[in-house]
Amino acid sequence: MAIQVNQLTKKFRIFKREAGLQGALRSFLHRQYEDFYALRDINLEIQSGEVLGILGENGAGKTTLIKLLVGLLHPTSGRVLIDGFTPWERKNDFLRNISIVMGQKNQLWWDIPAAESFLLNQKIYGIEDKQFRKTLDELVDLLDISSKLNTQVRRLSLGERMKMEIIAALLHRPKIVLLDEPTIGLDVVSQSKIRDFVKFYNEKRGTTILLTSHYMTDIQALCKRVFVIHKGRALYDGNFDILVNRVNPSKKLTFEFPEHPSAATIQKLENNFALRIEDRFLTAQLPDAELNELLVQLFNLHKPKSFSLEELPVEETMKAFFADPEKFV
Amino acid sequence: MNMVNRFTAKYSAVIRMTWIQALEYKANSLVGTFAIISGVFIEYLLWKRIFLTRGVSVINGFTFGDLMVYIFLSLVVGQLKSSWITSLEMITAIREGELNKYLIRPISFFTYHFMLFIGYNSLFYLVYFFMIAGMIIFFPGWAFPSLLNIAGFLGTLIISVYLSYSVYFVMVCFAFWFGEVRALIIAYNLANMVLSGQMVPLRFFPDSVLKILRFTPLPYLVDLPVSIATGNLPVERWWTESLHSLFWSVAMTFIGLVVYREGIQRYEGFGG
Repeated sequence: MAIQVNQLTKKFRIFKREAGLQGALRSFLHRQYEDFYALRDINLEIQSGEVLGILGENGAGKTTLIKLLVGLLHPTSGRVLIDGFTPWERKNDFLRNISIVMGQKNQLWWDIPAAESFLLNQKIYGIEDKQFRKTLDELVDLLDISSKLNTQVRRLSLGERMKMEIIAALLHRPKIVLLDEPTIGLDVVSQSKIRDFVKFYNEKRGTTILLTSHYMTDIQALCKRVFVIHKGRALYDGNFDILVNRVNPSKKLTFEFPEHPSAATIQKLENNFALRIEDRFLTAQLPDAELNELLVQLFNLHKPKSFSLEELPVEETMKAFFADPEKFV
Repeated sequence: MNMVNRFTAKYSAVIRMTWIQALEYKANSLVGTFAIISGVFIEYLLWKRIFLTRGVSVINGFTFGDLMVYIFLSLVVGQLKSSWITSLEMITAIREGELNKYLIRPISFFTYHFMLFIGYNSLFYLVYFFMIAGMIIFFPGWAFPSLLNIAGFLGTLIISVYLSYSVYFVMVCFAFWFGEVRALIIAYNLANMVLSGQMVPLRFFPDSVLKILRFTPLPYLVDLPVSIATGNLPVERWWTESLHSLFWSVAMTFIGLVVYREGIQRYEGFGG
C-alpha cells in the first residue's frame, strides 16, 4: 500500500476581528481566536499506482489534506504512513520519492531559464547524469516543450510554465505525485495536454497520483476513484462514475422521426414520459429504466431516421452535487 | 556518491544559480558592488569636519587616517556579513507559504538560504578582495601589519559571516509565531550597524556599554575582524576573542535549529 491515513485531523487557530478601524484597534488590544477544523477524522488508503481524485468545494480541506500527505503541515492528531514514512518527519528518503505540483505556486527560478532549475534539482536529488538526461529528454518530448527550455521562466505562458513545473517535479522519478489544481487557469488545449500526459505517465511509470481539480473533466479523464471531502469530513470514497450516476442517473435521448409524428402519437408519448417534441425531433432526459421503456415504444412506433444517447455534462452534474453533497451520499 | 560529495554538489549548485541570476541583471550587481564607496565618502566628510572643528589629530587613539582605514574595512565586513535582505526573503517565504518549495525537497531551509546569501555576495567578495589587496600592495602601512593579521582577519571574517546569518535566522523563525517580523529585522539591523562597530570603532563607546556588549555576539561581527586587520587588538587576545565568536556561532545555530523545529510545527503553508 502506498498511502495509509488514519483518523487524520487538522485544526487551525484563526485570528478573528471585526471590520473597520475600530475593530482593528480592539483586536490590537485584545486578540480573539477561534478553532477551525480543516480536516476531521479522515481515513484513506491508496494503493501503489492508483490515481485518486480528491474533490470538494473551496475550503473543504483538499489542499490541507495534500499538504499533510506531503509533510508540509503537522496534523493535530492522527497518523499518515507513506511507504513506511511519516511525512512531516521529512526524511530525505521520503522526500526523494514524493513530489508535488501546486497550480498556484511555483518552484522554478523566475528570472532564469527552467533548464537551470532542472540542473539544480538534479543536484538536490542527486540524480546521475545519464538518468537525468534520459528523464529530462523523455519529459520534454512528452510535453512538447523543448523549444522553451532556455527561455526565462517569467517569459513563459501559464501553460508552458505549468509544463516546466511538472518536469521539475518528475525529474527524480518520484513514486508518489500530488497534483494540486495542475490545470487551473489553463486554456482547454493546455488542460487536455496536461491530462493526456498525466494519464500516460501514470500508465507508463506506475506512479501513484493524487489529483485535486475543480475541472471535472480532469477527474473524469484521470480518476476511477474519488475521495470527496465536505467541510473537512470524508463524504464519499469510491468510483467516480457511480457517484455521477447517483447524482444524476439521467441520460439525454435525441430521436429523429422519419416524418412528423401524428398528434395521437405525440399525445400518447407525452402522457407517459417527460419529453419534448419539436418538428421531427424528440428529446428527453430520463433515468436509464425509463429511457429503455421509451426507446422500446419509439422503436415499435417508428424506425428512427437517427438517434443519440448522451451522458449529461459531468461539470453540471457535479455542480448539482456540490450544491448539497449530503443529499447524495 | 558519499554524503559530503552530495552535500557539496547540492549547495554549490545553489551558489551557481545565484551567479547565473546575478549575470541576468549585470547593471544591478555592479551598482550594488560599488555602493560602499558612498558610505566611505559620507564618513570621510563627517570625520574630516569633526577633526577640523575639534582641532585634534587623534581621537580615542585613532588618527584621521587610522579612522578612515577602520571605517573602510568595517563597511566591507559589514556588507559581507549582512544577510538582512536574505532574511526578509525568508520571512516572506514563511508568511506567504513559499517555504513549501523548500520543505518538499531534500534540502535544508537554513543551509539553502545561507548558500543563496553567499552566492549573491560572491561579486562583493571578489571586488573587495581586489580592493583590500590593492590597499596592502599600494599603501602597505595602512593596515595588515603582518601576514598573521591577514590570516586572522580572514578567519574571523568567515566566523562573522556565519554568526551574523545564524543570528538573523533565529529572528526569521519568529515569523512562524508572529507572521510579520520584518520590523524586528530592520530594528536589529540598525542597532547592529552601530553596536557592532560598523559606523565607529567600539572603543568610542563608554565602558558601561562595552561591558554589556561583551555579553552579546555584536562585537564579533565587525569590530573583531577589523581590529585584527588594523593591528588594534593584541595577538594574545585573538584566540580568546575568536573562541567567544565561535561559541556564539554554535549557540546561535543551536538556538536557531530549536526555534525552527518548534516553529515548523506551527507552519500553515498559506496559499495554493
